[in-house]
Amino acid sequence: MIGERTERREDARLTSGRGRYLADHDVPGLAHVAILRSTSAHAVIRGIDVSGATALPGVIAVVTQADLDRAGARPMTHRLPLLGVLPLEWGLLARDRARFVGEPIAAVVAATRSIAEDAMELIVIDEEQLPAVVDPFVALAPGAPLLYSEWGTNEFFRMTSLPPVLGDVLATAPYVKQFRLTDHRIAALPLEGHGVQAAPDPATGTLHVYASNQQPHQLRTVIAETCGLDEQSVRVVAPDMGGGFGNKQHFTREECLTAMLALITGRPVRWIQDRTEGLISSIHSREQVHDVTVGYDDSGKVLAYRVDVTANVGNPILYFSGIGPAIVTVGALEGGYDFGVVGFDLRCVATNTCPIGAYRGFGQPQAHFSSERTLDAIAVDLGLDPIDVRRRNLLPDGPRPWITGGGARIDVGPLGPHLDALVTEFGYGRWRDLQSEARADGRLVGIGVSALVQGTAPTQYGVAGRFGSYESAAVAVLPDGRVTVAVGTKSQGQGHETTLAQVAADVFGVGVDRVTVTDGDTAQLPYGMGTWGSRTAVMAGGAVLRAATQLREKMDRIAAGMQTASAEPPTFSEIAEEAWWQTHRLPADEEPGLQQTVVYTPGNTMPVPDEHGHMNFDETFAAHMTAVAVEVDPETGDVRVLDAVLVSDCGVVINPMVVEGQHQGGFAQGLGAVLFEEVRYDDDGQPLTSTLVDYTIPEAPDVPRLRVVQRETPSAVAGGFRGVGEASIIATPAVIAGAVADALAPLGVEITSTRLHAHYLRRAIRAAGYTPDASAFASR
Amino acid sequence: MSQTVNVKLNVNGAAAEIELEPRETLLDVVRERLGLTGAHAGCEQGSCGACTVLVDGELTRSCLIFAVQCEDKAITTIEHFGSPGALHPMMEAFRRHHGLQCGFCTPAMVLTAIAFLEESPHPTESEVRSALAGNLCRCTGYAGIVDAVLDVAGVAE
Ligand code: FES
Ligand code: FES
Repeated sequence: MIGERTERREDARLTSGRGRYLADHDVPGLAHVAILRSTSAHAVIRGIDVSGATALPGVIAVVTQADLDRAGARPMTHRLPLLGVLPLEWGLLARDRARFVGEPIAAVVAATRSIAEDAMELIVIDEEQLPAVVDPFVALAPGAPLLYSEWGTNEFFRMTSLPPVLGDVLATAPYVKQFRLTDHRIAALPLEGHGVQAAPDPATGTLHVYASNQQPHQLRTVIAETCGLDEQSVRVVAPDMGGGFGNKQHFTREECLTAMLALITGRPVRWIQDRTEGLISSIHSREQVHDVTVGYDDSGKVLAYRVDVTANVGNPILYFSGIGPAIVTVGALEGGYDFGVVGFDLRCVATNTCPIGAYRGFGQPQAHFSSERTLDAIAVDLGLDPIDVRRRNLLPDGPRPWITGGGARIDVGPLGPHLDALVTEFGYGRWRDLQSEARADGRLVGIGVSALVQGTAPTQYGVAGRFGSYESAAVAVLPDGRVTVAVGTKSQGQGHETTLAQVAADVFGVGVDRVTVTDGDTAQLPYGMGTWGSRTAVMAGGAVLRAATQLREKMDRIAAGMQTASAEPPTFSEIAEEAWWQTHRLPADEEPGLQQTVVYTPGNTMPVPDEHGHMNFDETFAAHMTAVAVEVDPETGDVRVLDAVLVSDCGVVINPMVVEGQHQGGFAQGLGAVLFEEVRYDDDGQPLTSTLVDYTIPEAPDVPRLRVVQRETPSAVAGGFRGVGEASIIATPAVIAGAVADALAPLGVEITSTRLHAHYLRRAIRAAGYTPDASAFASR
Repeated sequence: MSQTVNVKLNVNGAAAEIELEPRETLLDVVRERLGLTGAHAGCEQGSCGACTVLVDGELTRSCLIFAVQCEDKAITTIEHFGSPGALHPMMEAFRRHHGLQCGFCTPAMVLTAIAFLEESPHPTESEVRSALAGNLCRCTGYAGIVDAVLDVAGVAE
């Protein structure tokens, strides 16, 4: 039932090792794919000699882009309905130029993965190295090596919104500050890497694809396009997924390539990304530099806010487009604040690095990092409490929806009471006292706060792809009274088999165990939109609610006309039997059966400007307030979280246990992002983080508990739901940075970057003149 | 094809004789030859722990050991400890405490937890966390996992 801590239905199979992930779908005759990747960051490919590889026993095919061309593969493109994006098309393999280390150049299909890898080593590439560019500012400078000489620039996309009054308000504001903030590059790193398995069915001419992908229907569209097939000839099934986090949201070359290899070889083939491929050539995220100019008054109220965003998008051959997160960043600059006049100048810059794309939060962590660092800077400057500065800038408690200057329709509940709840639950006053005591002892304790209003259940149209905002659900009540639900979303661990069953069970008044949910199979529904963007509770939850409600009403009508032996009303399954079998007894005008398919949209998104120039990208919004206390060890630079509280308002909560789990998990990822993780390159574009030894993610001892306090302001969309999956990963980097900055303030260290790893902080602390106490260090 | 050898293993209590290439890892063999897909390849570099099985009762990263090294050894995988219809108490505790999301790390995490409690039946929270430190989970943030292990150990959180 909605609101209960129902144990998850998927857990029996997943805990006992019976989950079936991508690599668990062996079929007779399955061949294996290995992909040869560029070891140069930038090179002209003059020739590829595959003769040695082809001759190796066990090799079925060695394929280059020339072979794909001959087999009729079509190039991939952005197809982004957005003005100003430079034209770009790419093959499923590099054709004559490699533009980042890890770019796929050739594929081997062989009887086993080991043979495929052996053969890969026998391929000889004749290439000419070109100068590479890694840093976006270097890439923008005159004379920089160009990734696409036909563009004449590396500036792939620029979008500017600088209202004329912005300059005036900044010129007259009592205070103005300018600073640069940096968000470093990270990787989402689902524990199960990408993978795809494709099998042609010669009898029907169809292609059956398993893919570890968050958007199976869109992947079907893209595979059909690149392979030259009709959409109905391709079935995509996303099986159990070992995480996604946006990293599996795009439609990759490898997915389309594997489909082509199945068509070329006429047999089932499988590609499983290994960890190094995942780290160097999958999808990276977040890298942006923000040049902030803020004007404010004595009270800490922001009057004008300008952020010039320079986003490194890597080699931008990614569909849907990797510029999406940066576009979301500039749309989310204000978050839940009223910053007066807001402007931005966004430049998306191509470099010889792995494509940048989605990671849980999708551009919002960078926007939030900047708004929170800005408010903290104002608080420090004016000697105000950071909570008070936030209060002065938060959206007023009414009206709702609050329509921003750009047209976003913010429908969150009153924000002031959430902030009050945070102050109480965190014990803000007590922590300030503890901080004073700690400082008196020479310890570096700091407190960070964040007030996040997040757009949830967005449309992809125009921002990242050409796909609009809706979701499909098919609900049926079978003659035995069991309920089946099929949705176009795809759980990657969020527990939709349980939460969507709870929604249906709630409507029907039956136990959750009588409802079976299936997702991620294009054969179940004509189209669906997948799981990403904190959308599934809102969109699939709403679709299931609608479909189930329509069926429930039909069952009530049928029941009203039913005669039962006793005076008791008919049971749920008796009504179901009546509807499917005793059709002659049904009321006039009532169709037999109990099944309902609904394609649902709340209808709030408007991705193209209306007559007022307004756009709104989100169906509904959620509010999350976070506070943390940390202690920084000045000797080592280690950050220890002493306490963390999140006040969560995601509307009607379907399953509080799952919501807490989303928050705790996002907290761990946000913490990892700022304390442990960084994708690094050398100046030549060689990746320096290609294993989990170099790219370290949090382990069990590293992640403290996040205390979650749930408050419910129902939204106006079906069910009253709001999205929740991304809140804590958006809030955490900002709030940890705020706390670290507060902790280090006595040393005069300023925090202007998401790099809060021990080695960076240690360096900053030393640079600020702090000298380690060798004797204290020795006694550790 | 390279040369093959015969290896005798005892897997989940049953004898198995397998013809394999010397370069096949134990992970390859349990998954692909024996169909025991509860051990997962998260990195194949010894870093994530998702491939953990027991070899003669010892927690072992099956991606780091060749199957030929396991001649006559007893291999125990997650499948031995429970099934969807008959969960091990540790599996039930993971479910109860929301100790998993995607489940990819979970079989190895459960196996590690079971083996750990056999060695240390009354652990503290920080001992549990250290014991699980070699098993990466990207989804949960570990709180539910730690709670599950403490619950099975009968230690109040
Ligand atoms: S797969 Fe063996 S440790 Fe990661
Ligand atoms: S539950 Fe997904 S990696 Fe642990």
